[in-house]
Amino acid sequence: MRRPGKARAGVAESLRLLAQGRDLRGRATVPRSAQEWEEEPERGRFPTAWARTPVAGAVRYGLQRGLLKPTAWSVCAPDVRGLERLEGLRGPVVFVANHASHLDTPLILGSLPPRFARRIAVGAAADYFFDTPWRAVLTALAINGFPVERKGSGRLRSLAPQLVAERWSLLLFPEGTRSEDGWMKRVRAGSAHLCCGFGIPAVPIAVRGSYAAMPRGRGWPVPGRPRVSVRYGDPLYPEAGENAWDFNSRLSTAVARLWNEEDIGWYAALREPRDAAVARPAGPPAAGSWRRSWEAGRPLPKSRP
Amino acid sequence: MGRPGFVLEVDERTPALLVNEGEAARLERFPLGTRVIYPPDSLPGIRDVGGAIRQALLHPHGEDPLPALLRPGMRLTIVFDDISLPLPQMRAPDMRQRIIEQVLEMAAAAGVDDVELLAANALHRRMTAAELKRTVGDRVFRSFFPGHLNNHDAEDRANLTEVGTTRHGEVVEINRRAAESDLIVYVNITLTGMSGGAKSVAVGLASYRSLRHHHNVHTLRHSRSFNDPPQSAMHHSYDRMAAVLAGHVRVFTVESTVNGDSYPPQVGFMNKREWEWSPADQASYLAFRKLNAMAPAKMRRQMWQRSHAPYGITGVHAGAPAEVHPHTLANVHRQQLTEIDGQSDIGVWGLPFICPYNVNSIMNPILVMSLGLGYFFNLYRNKPIVRQGGVGIFYHPMPEEFHPVHHPSYIDFYESVLSRTKDPALIEEKYEEQFATDPWYTHLYRTSHAYHGVHPLYMWYWGAHALQHLGDVIFVGAERGTASRLGFRTASTLGDALEMARETVGSSPSITYHHSPPLALADVR
Amino acid sequence: MSQALEFYRSPARYLAARGIAAAGAGGRLAGAVAGSVSPLRLVDRPAERRDEPGWVRLRPLLSGICGSDLALLGGHSSPYLTALASLPFVPGHEIVAETVAAAPGLPAGSRVVVDPVLSCAARGTRPCPECRAGRRNRCGHITTGSLRAGLQTGFCADTGGGWSRSVVAHVSQLHRVPDELADRTAVLVEPLACAVHSVRRAAIAPGASVLVVGAGTVGLLTVLALREFTAAGPIYAVAKHPHQRALAEALGATETFGVRRLARALRMLTGGTLEHPDLGADFLLGGVDVAFDCTGGAGGLDTALRTVRAGGTVVMSGMPSGAVDLAPVWFRELHLIGSYASAGGPEAEAPAQAPDFAEAVRLAGRVAPLAGFVDAVYPLSRWREAIGHALSAGRLGSVKVAFDPNRS
Repeated sequence: MRRPGKARAGVAESLRLLAQGRDLRGRATVPRSAQEWEEEPERGRFPTAWARTPVAGAVRYGLQRGLLKPTAWSVCAPDVRGLERLEGLRGPVVFVANHASHLDTPLILGSLPPRFARRIAVGAAADYFFDTPWRAVLTALAINGFPVERKGSGRLRSLAPQLVAERWSLLLFPEGTRSEDGWMKRVRAGSAHLCCGFGIPAVPIAVRGSYAAMPRGRGWPVPGRPRVSVRYGDPLYPEAGENAWDFNSRLSTAVARLWNEEDIGWYAALREPRDAAVARPAGPPAAGSWRRSWEAGRPLPKSRP
Repeated sequence: MGRPGFVLEVDERTPALLVNEGEAARLERFPLGTRVIYPPDSLPGIRDVGGAIRQALLHPHGEDPLPALLRPGMRLTIVFDDISLPLPQMRAPDMRQRIIEQVLEMAAAAGVDDVELLAANALHRRMTAAELKRTVGDRVFRSFFPGHLNNHDAEDRANLTEVGTTRHGEVVEINRRAAESDLIVYVNITLTGMSGGAKSVAVGLASYRSLRHHHNVHTLRHSRSFNDPPQSAMHHSYDRMAAVLAGHVRVFTVESTVNGDSYPPQVGFMNKREWEWSPADQASYLAFRKLNAMAPAKMRRQMWQRSHAPYGITGVHAGAPAEVHPHTLANVHRQQLTEIDGQSDIGVWGLPFICPYNVNSIMNPILVMSLGLGYFFNLYRNKPIVRQGGVGIFYHPMPEEFHPVHHPSYIDFYESVLSRTKDPALIEEKYEEQFATDPWYTHLYRTSHAYHGVHPLYMWYWGAHALQHLGDVIFVGAERGTASRLGFRTASTLGDALEMARETVGSSPSITYHHSPPLALADVR
Repeated sequence: MSQALEFYRSPARYLAARGIAAAGAGGRLAGAVAGSVSPLRLVDRPAERRDEPGWVRLRPLLSGICGSDLALLGGHSSPYLTALASLPFVPGHEIVAETVAAAPGLPAGSRVVVDPVLSCAARGTRPCPECRAGRRNRCGHITTGSLRAGLQTGFCADTGGGWSRSVVAHVSQLHRVPDELADRTAVLVEPLACAVHSVRRAAIAPGASVLVVGAGTVGLLTVLALREFTAAGPIYAVAKHPHQRALAEALGATETFGVRRLARALRMLTGGTLEHPDLGADFLLGGVDVAFDCTGGAGGLDTALRTVRAGGTVVMSGMPSGAVDLAPVWFRELHLIGSYASAGGPEAEAPAQAPDFAEAVRLAGRVAPLAGFVDAVYPLSRWREAIGHALSAGRLGSVKVAFDPNRS
C-alpha cells in the first residue's frame, strides 16, 4: 500500500515540529514580519456550564462552607447584619454590592443563607478571572463565577440573562472593578437592567472594612483579625414602568445608605438629607489622593458605634 | 478581521509552517530569511446570498434585467460550470443551484417552456448523474434530468456548430443548442483569475477544433500568467472568440466568487497562520496527522474528497460577460492578491489533494505536474515568484496511480509518450493528433466518464511556461520512478532539495514559499 | 557406473512441489525450496547401453535446463504428459555432446547436438505417416517400439538424459556441430530449432505485427527466428527484466513492454479499444496479427489470446500448463496453433525448406548475442543451486542455465 510521503513521521516527530517556536502552552511568538498584522486574539468564552451541574455545585458548597468560610471567618471578624431582611425572599435575586477587596466575595457567599448560597453565580471579570485556564477553572468551581466583560467591548454576550432565566441568583459588583482607593465608584446600570428586564428584586449589600483588611495588592488580610461588616438591605423591586436608570439610582442610594449605616447608624442614614451625596460615598472630594485612601483604609472600630 | 495578505520573513521565532503534500500535510521548518506569501484573511461571506443573487439578476451590468429578457416561446439554455469548480467542492447547497433556481423561477414566471441545462465540461469528463444532482440541486435535477439536463459533448458533430472565425483565423465552434438559443444564461463560480468571463461559453461549450487555438504550447508559453487575463495570450484568444460569439448569441452571465474558507472547521488550522494556532488547532493537527497516516489509502482518499468547503460567497454579479468579469476579478483579487517585492532563486509550493481534474477521482502524476507547474506556478501577476533559471520545489508524493475510467489516455500518455520525450512542443507536434482523434478515447469520452484523449497533453502544455522558466524542478517526498518519468528530480526532505538546488542557483539562494491553503495570487513587483 | 540426476516417482514430493506452486510462491520461494521438494536425486547408475544398430553412446558436454524441466520439477506440468514419459528418467534434452564410439557417418569424438524427439527411427518401428512426411515431432509411435514410453530423450527411462555423464542416442537424432561453434552456443541449438519451427508453423504474412510474450530463452530465440525466417513487420516483446529487453531489441524486437502496460501500449500501436471485463485481465478489440506464447504459463497464453486481433493467430511455443479461458478463441475466431519441438529431417520427402534443426545449427553460429545466453554453468553435484538459479534466471540476469556433467 502506498502512503503519502516516504518518511512517514510519527506523532513524536509531529509534536517535536509543533513544539518548535512555541511555549509549553502551545503559544507561538508572532514572527517579526507578521507583527504588523497581529490580531487582538478573539477571546473565546470560557465554558462554565459544567460548574453549574449538581455535582460541581455539591463540591463547591463543600468548599465554601468547609474551607472558604472558616478561613475568612478566622482571618477577619465579620459582622453580618440585616439577614432578616431576606426572610421570605425567593430567588432569583440579584445581590448588588460595593467592591473593594477580594475578601468581599467570600464574605458575602459565607454569610448568605444556604438557600441562596447553594444557587448563586458570581459575576467575575473576564479579563482577569478567565484569562488563564487554571484561574478560570478555579473561579468557576469555587465561587461559581461566570465571565463578565468590563471593558464594554461587548464582544461577549453576557451570560447573566441566561442564568437568571435558569433561576440562578446572581452576585454582581456593579462598579465593575475593585475600588482603587476604598471609596465607591459609579454604580453601573447593568444589574438594574437585569432586574427591570426580568422583574426580579435586587438586594443591596454594603461591605465595609474589607479595604482596610485586604486592599488591592495584598494577597492575605492584615494581621490582627480586622473587623469587617456586611450589611444586607431590604430587597428592592422594580416598579411597573420604572426604567433601569431610575431603578439604578434607587439601588445605588440603597447601597450608599447601608455604607453610611456603619458610620452613623441606620436611622441617621435613613434621615440623611443630602441624597445626592449619599447616593455615592465618594469620599473627601477633590482632596489629594493619599487622603482618600487614607480615610478609606482606616480600620473599622472593633465594635459597632 | 479582514487583514490584507502579507509576506512573512521566517525568523528564529517562526514556528514550523504547514505544507500540503497531496492527501496529507506536514509541518516544515524553513531556512531563516525564507519569504512566505500569505493571502488576505478569508473575507466575510454575504449573509443573504439569495437576496444578492436576486439583486444581481434584477440589476445587471450592461444588460437588461433578466426578467425583461425572458418571454414565452423562446429557447433558453442555462449553462453552468462543471465539477472542476470550485476546489475543493462546495458544501451543499451549491452556488450554481441557488442561482439556477432563481433563474428558473423567473423563466417560469415569464412562461418559458424550452429550457435546456448544460454542464460546460468542454473536454472534461461527463459529470455523473449524482454529480449533476449535487450541483444543480434536487429540485432542478428532478425537473430536467435526463431529457433536458446534460453534459456538453464536444465530439457530437451533429450538435456542434461553427459560429465563425476570429480575425486571427481561430475557429469558433460550440454546442449547437446553445448557439441557436435566444438566450444563454451562464452560471459561474470563479475561484481564480483564469476562470469566468470570456472563457465560460467560448471554452466550456467548445469542440477540440476550437480549443486547439488556445490550448497549445505556444499560447501557454505566452500566458504570463494565465491567472492574469490582461497578460495571458490564452485569454486574448478567449476574448476574440467571445467577441465572435457575441455577434451570434446573447449571453447573460452570472458570476460568483468564493472566499478562502476551503477546508471544513475540523481542520480549521488549514486556514490559519501557524503562529496563531490555538492549542485546539495543534491538537487537531496532531489528530489529523495520525488519523490520516493510519487510514487505509482508499478511506483516506474518500475523507479528503468528501471534505466539502464551507465557502462564503464574496460577490455575485450578472449581466454582459465583458462588463461582469471586471467585478468578479476585483473580488478574486480582494481575496487573493498579495504583493511581494522581487523574485527569488527558489520557489516552494505544497500541492494539495485536489486539482480541477481529479474531483471524485485520483490525482495521477500528469495532474500533479499540471497542478504544480501549471496552476500553482502561474498564481502570479507581473512575473513569477522565481527568477528565470531558478528552481521550483514542490511537495507531493506522486504515486503512480491512475483512475482507469476517468483518465484512460493519461495512462497511455504516461507510458508511451513521456517515456520518449518530455518536451511539450515535440509532444504537441508528434502526438497531439493521435491522442485527439483516437476513436477509443473519443468513445470513452462520449459514453463513459473519461477525459478527452487529448486532455493529458493539454495538462502537459499547462506546465510549458514553467518548464521553460525553471532551471530545475525538485519534488519533495515523491516516488522516484514516477518523478523521473516526468523529468523531475526527487528529494526526501526540504534540506536535500535545497542542497540539490545549489547546483543551479548557488550556495546562498533566496527562497519564497507560496503558502497554501488558502490560495494567494502573488503580485510580484 | 555413471553419475546422473534422476527423476523418480514420489507422489509426496510431487504434491509438495505442486502445493508450493499453487500457493503462488513463484520466484524466490520456489527457487529456494525447489531443490528440497522436487523428486530429483543425484545417483550413480549403470551407464546406458543400447546394442541395436544406430545407437551411439554420448558424453554430454553441456546440457541446458529448459522451462519444461522446471515445470516438471515444480509439479505444474500437464498430467497429460505423464503417459508420454517413463520413470525413472534422467532429464536433459538440450544437449551438446561428444560421441564415445563411432557410428555410421560419425567418427568417435565428434561434437554433436541432439534432436531429442524419439520417433519411429529410434524406436525401430515401421515409420508412421507423420515420420514418413518428415514431421517426426508428431510421431505416433512415441509410446511403443523398442523403447519405453518417452516423447524425448530426457523423458525416457531407456535412453538416459543430458543431466548425466552418459546418454545414448540414435544417429538419426544427431547433428554435427561445426568446430567454430562453442559449446555454450551449441547448447542453444535445440531450443533455437523449436523457435524456428514455431515461426514456420505460424505462416506470418509480410508486414504482420507480431507479439512475443515472454523473453526467456524461447521468447528471445523466437524473436530471432521471426526476424530471420519471416517478413514480419513490427515485433513487440513482453519482457520483465532489463537485460531481457536489451537482448530482445538486439535480436530484432521493435519495442518491448512490461506485461502490466502491454494491453494499453498495443492498443496505442494497433488501434481499437481496450475492454475491462468484470473478472480477469483487460483485453483488446483490435491488437496484433500474431502472438507467440513463449512462457508456457497460463498467464502468458491468456495474455496472447487477449491481445491478438480478431481472426489472428496465437502460437503456443512453451509447454502449456494450467487452465486458460478460451473464450477469445471462440469469440474472436482465433487460430490457435501448437508448436512442439522441431520438424523436418533426413526422411522428409522433398522438403521445401531446410529442416529446422539444420537451420538452427547454421543460425547459431551467425548471431553474436547468443554467445552470452549461457552465463551460469553448474556441475551435477550442485543441482539444487542450479535449479534455483534457473527458476529465477530473469531476476538474476541470466537467460540459460546449464549443467556441465564433467565438472565436479
